Amino acid sequence: MRGEFKKLNNLVARNIKLYFKDKMMFFCSLITPIILIVLFLAFLGTTYKTSLINCLPEGIQLSDKVINGFTGGWLFSSILATSCITVAFCSNMIVMDKINKSVLDFQIAPVKKTTLQISYVISNFLTTFLICGIAVVVGFVYLGIVGWFLSFVDVLLLLVNMVVSILFGTLLSSVVWLFVSSQGALSAVCTMVSSMYGFLCGAYMPIGSMGSGVRAVVSFFPGTYGTVLFRQVYMGGVLEEIANAGVPPQVLMEIKKGFDGTFIFFNHEVPSWAMYVIMCSTVAALFGILVLCIFLKNKKKKPSKLVPNKSEAN
Amino acid sequence: MKNIIEIKNLKKYFKDVVAVDDISFQVREGELFAFLGLNGAGKSTTINIICNALAKDSGQVFVDGLSIDEDMQSIQPKLGVVFQHSVLDDKLSVLDNLKFRANLYDMPKSQFQENLKFLAEKLEFDDILKRPLNKLSGGQKRRIDIARALIHNPRVLILDEPTTGLDPKTRILVWQLITQLRKDKSMTVFLTTHYMEEAAEADYVVIIDGGKIVAKDTPNNLKNQFAYDFIKIYQFDNKLLDILKKKKIEFNQQKEFIEIEMKNTQEAKKFLVENQESIFDFEVVKGKMDNVFLNVTGKHLKEF
Repeated sequence: MRGEFKKLNNLVARNIKLYFKDKMMFFCSLITPIILIVLFLAFLGTTYKTSLINCLPEGIQLSDKVINGFTGGWLFSSILATSCITVAFCSNMIVMDKINKSVLDFQIAPVKKTTLQISYVISNFLTTFLICGIAVVVGFVYLGIVGWFLSFVDVLLLLVNMVVSILFGTLLSSVVWLFVSSQGALSAVCTMVSSMYGFLCGAYMPIGSMGSGVRAVVSFFPGTYGTVLFRQVYMGGVLEEIANAGVPPQVLMEIKKGFDGTFIFFNHEVPSWAMYVIMCSTVAALFGILVLCIFLKNKKKKPSKLVPNKSEAN
Repeated sequence: MKNIIEIKNLKKYFKDVVAVDDISFQVREGELFAFLGLNGAGKSTTINIICNALAKDSGQVFVDGLSIDEDMQSIQPKLGVVFQHSVLDDKLSVLDNLKFRANLYDMPKSQFQENLKFLAEKLEFDDILKRPLNKLSGGQKRRIDIARALIHNPRVLILDEPTTGLDPKTRILVWQLITQLRKDKSMTVFLTTHYMEEAAEADYVVIIDGGKIVAKDTPNNLKNQFAYDFIKIYQFDNKLLDILKKKKIEFNQQKEFIEIEMKNTQEAKKFLVENQESIFDFEVVKGKMDNVFLNVTGKHLKEF
């Protein structure tokens, strides 16, 4: 058991080192956060700043610190909401090992298949946590400069959200990659996840501004609740500050709805605890699916149907 | 000598294609065993089954008396495998590749350092330990593949076409190390190769074609059975040519000699005695493994 644990540690260390040495893979997994930052700098920042100001009733003015804290919080909640999933998808080494045939080298070594598969999940979680952790630190520095409104509890909740979302991304990608073993399929899935997930979870544009049909669809997608939880953490403090500036509760509610500070599921506001329940249940379900898939894959394959040798048949 | 590998009635199918068709053979401990066949003959499939990379359909495989169906965990440390294509991590350094692999064999650090030092010296890669694999030449990469297979002191080294595409210097290095390990540690070598001169050095040869074993014996017995002898006659008088034409014996006339194919050494001896007055300088050349392979399978190995 102890020996197997040492082998697990060794494999996790190898997977993480290999990921960071593979510059192409590292860069690919950072594409989504980079796109978001570029979009924010190009026009999203100004657009949301203008939208927020337009929402305010006449006579109420917000300081630059509040406005920048609000848009900055929106940007970094988007980055975190997408990165926890897209980085997890693009940094899972299992599929690269299958493509490069390195997995063959582990199959012939005295290491259990389950240990090998667990090592991919753990290393995937750790690399994603590390990259998202860097994004959080960068976000803190940015918000510290333009406008900091996060409490200690917010920071703790942010860590909890990160862990739950990364678990969601890691387990989802581990299930998907279990069935992929070609470069073509890898590129297709990575491109699809990187480009679509940002829209699906409301990272590029708020879910509140989507059409009612799309909103109904994304409300059944667990990642949406992950995004809203990040928004609540990053924007909770600054929304309180906006309320303190004299903004009426109805207007504040509209701002929350418009910027995904809350989520309305068929005319009912979803409380935060329910969002945590949804995310945690999804993580538990994905864990169950992954364990089942690994169990079925590791079960000894039945011999392929025996057919007579053609020469013998003749 | 006991059998280190025993294969009984092994079968493997890929859908309706028969990859390995009911083959049985043994490899004795410490011997150099050559497994010959064209691409697609079933060599790599057999190797992959022995080392657990592929599931068999039926039959039995034993390594050191242990069944691969029941004791694979105990068998794996006994095997070292060099695959046809490198399975190491291109982006990692030579040292990292060997270290991460060695750690899977419950090896103490001091043992790893000792093995690494020995292999780096013998295979001449101590100066490239920190270099990533993708910055190495083909020959250097192959040496690291071989070092990886040997890092845990396996009892059986399986080499799947290890020297294909290697420069002569590297090939000599690799064979020197293998010869030393066989001598010092009684290591068994299971080799598949396209190089007939390598197969000719083997203690035992199995030839596989279309998933079936078509011949198995020592190289010398195989040559005696399947390869013809040749008489090369360098100096002769013209009477000999008349005799050959009269007796309708086929011969191949080269610039400096004529070459006559003989069924076996006895026939060659008889021919030389009968015509000794017309033959002044000659040599009898035994058939080579190329001829054995050609005569057994009807195919030229070097075409592939």
